[in-house]
Amino acid sequence: MITKEATPAAPAAERAAPAPPHPAKRHRPAWDEVPRWQIYLPLGVYLVFTLIPFYWILLFSLRPAGSTSLVPWPVTFDHFEKVWTERSFGTYFGNSVLVGVATLVMTTLVALAGGYALARFDFRIKRGFMLALLCSQFVPGALLLVPLFEIFANLQMINSLGSVILAETVFQLPLSMILISNFIKNVPYSLEEAAWVDGCGRLRAFRIVVLPLLRPGIIAVGSFAFVHSWNHFLFALMFLNNQSKQTIPVGLNTLMSADSVDLGALAAGGIIAAVPVVIVFAFIQKWLITGFSAGAVKG
Amino acid sequence: MKNSMRSSTGRRRVPAAVALGAVLALTATACGDDGSGSGGSGGAEGSGKGKITFWDNNGGVRTDIWKEIIADFEKANPDIDVEYVGIASTEYQSKVDTAIQGGGLPDVGGVGAAMLAGFAAQDALEPLDDRLAGSPLDGRLNEDMVESLKAAGGGDGTLYSVPTSANNGVLYYRTDLFEKAGLKEPSTWDAFYEAAEKLTDAGANKFGYTIRGGAGSIAQALDAMYGQSGITSFWNADGKQTTVNDPKNVEALEKYAALYKKVTPAADLNNDFTKMVAQWDSGTIGMLNHNLGSFQDHVKAFGEDKFRGIPQPAGPGGKRVQVSNPVDGLGVFKNSKNKEAAWKFIEFALSHEENSKFNRSAGQVPANLEAAEDAWISESEPTKLAAQALTDGSTTIVQLPYYLPDWNTISKADNEPNFQKVLLGKMSAKEFLDTVAEQLNEAQAEWDEQKG
Repeated sequence: MITKEATPAAPAAERAAPAPPHPAKRHRPAWDEVPRWQIYLPLGVYLVFTLIPFYWILLFSLRPAGSTSLVPWPVTFDHFEKVWTERSFGTYFGNSVLVGVATLVMTTLVALAGGYALARFDFRIKRGFMLALLCSQFVPGALLLVPLFEIFANLQMINSLGSVILAETVFQLPLSMILISNFIKNVPYSLEEAAWVDGCGRLRAFRIVVLPLLRPGIIAVGSFAFVHSWNHFLFALMFLNNQSKQTIPVGLNTLMSADSVDLGALAAGGIIAAVPVVIVFAFIQKWLITGFSAGAVKG
Repeated sequence: MKNSMRSSTGRRRVPAAVALGAVLALTATACGDDGSGSGGSGGAEGSGKGKITFWDNNGGVRTDIWKEIIADFEKANPDIDVEYVGIASTEYQSKVDTAIQGGGLPDVGGVGAAMLAGFAAQDALEPLDDRLAGSPLDGRLNEDMVESLKAAGGGDGTLYSVPTSANNGVLYYRTDLFEKAGLKEPSTWDAFYEAAEKLTDAGANKFGYTIRGGAGSIAQALDAMYGQSGITSFWNADGKQTTVNDPKNVEALEKYAALYKKVTPAADLNNDFTKMVAQWDSGTIGMLNHNLGSFQDHVKAFGEDKFRGIPQPAGPGGKRVQVSNPVDGLGVFKNSKNKEAAWKFIEFALSHEENSKFNRSAGQVPANLEAAEDAWISESEPTKLAAQALTDGSTTIVQLPYYLPDWNTISKADNEPNFQKVLLGKMSAKEFLDTVAEQLNEAQAEWDEQKG
């Protein structure tokens, strides 16, 4: 059972000073000593390889059906109009936003609570619990499909977005809790203690003192939960039947029939599916990198 | 500092007990079988009124036409509501399999020949022989298609799915490129090989043919093999040994696989139908083997006057042999609580007018005999020729063993990588076909044993 607090991490000053560089170690050129082409050429090649598929999708989505031109000219938005209205992507988009945002909120809230418990308390099965969290990452969602389907069917949640949100949240939680707990471990315990001395309760101290310091971690966990649930196909396919409830990945899949595929519509659907993820990453990339690297190397 | 979580044992036990109780309750409800899961036992004839659910096995592109048919049905049967669920063809089997195990099957759904054996083996489908015998549809459906679905249903001759339409292999070729090169229609295999070679100018990125090397490659290779060898049955006389590795088929496959990279793009190695069709529609390839389903894609790419779709080339002695394409159909799921209404929907969807409407949209051959006589068939040349090939006796159809539960695995996951090795010259055609034959013979023996 829960008996004692975890020992706060040792202050950085107490750690051993880094060893001096080995005298025989080869001199590494500084950034400004490296010829620019040695940096930009490989990056450029990599960029071209990365961008060509995106250009291809953009090309198919913007050029008229039947065109074989390598530039999207004359530009047409017919494919976008078709998928958005005729193929119900407007509805799918709304559903995906709802699933993504709800998963983000639920995952973040529960991961904060669970991560705090893992970081600040010692309890008898803590190590086993952490191990179980890690092991749960090895279980593919497809393996649990039938039991989950039965549970949701018995709870009358089949064909409800709630089932997808719940399943996505549950699958996101283990990794999110581990990440958040590492972030919390890096926040000095003395800060919380100072807040308690000033009259705060544990919850208020967490909200006022710890939470603002967890911003990179919250953004990392939240964006990961959003993007994963946005792209995830299996649960939405299996738990949702009604077309008005389906999400973007399932909608994309229905653009390919058994014998025929409308590549223009498929490309336009792909762009619609990708844009929110690109926007999310563009806004949060700074915090995301900080968040993942901090969570990875500390704790 | 004392930890605030260090409270009395009693205080900690209460939430733990509540949590444990909730988990047990959830588990109990999850395990409680109401008869809706695994196979079918909880169904009922129902009142023939109320709501039924229909799962479309090729949702997306067919959604609009099904919604139109459903609207007609609801107008004709105001006391029945049909909920339409469109499911992509690639995911249909896994969705139905999950629902068979976990519950939540629809009342009626698309059940094509390729999936029929699996669903029937799980006892998920309602036998429909008696219903069809007592229906106005009796005698008005294409008998070959009915027999094909009976044969695919597990071997006891029971009808689990009523045919809606048939597909057929088509050789599409670019009339403008043929005319320019002074080539005649590729109606024989010799003409096909000659055209493939003459239309190829690899340096200019022009190719005579595009071969299917990725997903779905085996069915297409079988079509080419049996078409050239002229062998008309998939099994030999005693029905225990497949003819797949007959020396004539081996020779045919060697010739066919040798086309790869000689008259086809190198990228064909990973061609599934999507890439193959997209590649042909890009305009620099002379011929393509696919089925009726992609006709509209080619019309969008070229217009109707730059290409034709004809049945597979004729083989030795002018005899045309093709392998069967899966017949599509509709089945009633055994767990349906309203089988009467589900059957009414099937009857309606297969009526002359509705079946004609559906197949005109899908570009396939109607199962309803009156619908197959409608004027639109003769306006769509590939469909007309395919319908003729299937009905006028000019073509022998080699029935593939869709009834074998292992057929999908053998013809896809198990052997598609080996076919790629054949194309690359890393495996001989004989070695490949011997492997396939061994697996098929084993599957057939197992199936015979199970049948008793």
